[in-house]
Amino acid sequence: MRFTIAVVILLALCAPLTACKRSLSERDVRAFIDKADNAARKRYAPEICELRGENFKMKLTFQGDNRHVQPSEMEIGRSLYCRNADRFARLRQYELERHSIEIELAADRKTATVDAEYIEKMPFYDPNRSPPASPFDYVEVQILTSHDRSVVGIEGGDIVFLRTETETEQELVDKKSIPALLTD
Amino acid sequence: MKPYAGPLMLLVIVGGVLLYRATSADKAPPRDFTETELAGPAPDNEGTCYSLSTIFIANGVFGGVPRTWTSPRKGAWTLTLEKVGEGAGGPVREFQTWTFEQHAEQVRMIEADASQGYPKDIEENLNRLLEAPNARGSTPVDRCLKDGGTGYRYKKKQQ
Repeated sequence: MRFTIAVVILLALCAPLTACKRSLSERDVRAFIDKADNAARKRYAPEICELRGENFKMKLTFQGDNRHVQPSEMEIGRSLYCRNADRFARLRQYELERHSIEIELAADRKTATVDAEYIEKMPFYDPNRSPPASPFDYVEVQILTSHDRSVVGIEGGDIVFLRTETETEQELVDKKSIPALLTD
Repeated sequence: MKPYAGPLMLLVIVGGVLLYRATSADKAPPRDFTETELAGPAPDNEGTCYSLSTIFIANGVFGGVPRTWTSPRKGAWTLTLEKVGEGAGGPVREFQTWTFEQHAEQVRMIEADASQGYPKDIEENLNRLLEAPNARGSTPVDRCLKDGGTGYRYKKKQQ
């Protein structure tokens, strides 16, 4: 009897482990990217952050609206990425559309490379001007066209981004020249 | 088997704790380190009258800026502060890195690095860091509380 109870307890303790991922499928990765895109649309920093692995790195190449100025490049780790996601949460108007996605699983199915193209629209607050009086105090919308190449993998049983390389082009347009952005 | 169950369980717990301590690295220096007086620049390394933690608090280092401590070797700690700033062409990573090392009753800044727009010189970094505690009249270390206590760039708070 005691042995049976011990086995039952052991099985109960091991049950959560069955939910942990050990290999990836294309469906898992697609669902994960959908989840990440939705987290970005909500701009809820903790949710955006928890989808990044412990040693997550992001490399961004950013071509500003002025094509005469060289693109900026930066590489940041998870803590700074998460801190920046916090700033992103202050936006009241934001749109994100994914235009394409390609998933390539590694031979061992432990990681996958995801290529995706996005268009984001959000207010542009000129950093050279005084801070806006309200989130609606802007004259231009920035349209960001990005190509993301991410490596996703399994960490602690969950799928996470391990690294992302993003190439972004910015275009500034008068907010009156396009349909109003979606507002929270 | 029964008589061994207790000691065996104890052994597993102790082993687990030891394994955890061996594999988990310290993420920040011990309090003894940050409570030590920061020295001025070489060659004199005169004390500044302020502990490292007092200087950091006065400078708002423990505010919203992401900070990371790493230890390059025993008795030395490197603090990295970073943020995403706006460069001419778009977002850029801005950072400042200071390495401190314990020398008897002092902590000395032995290395400084930074992205464009921030000083990389140790003396300039120290001078900048000392502006805030001097301006605020932060609490100095015991040595400087006594009459006649002096320090590098130290301005005694007017009563």
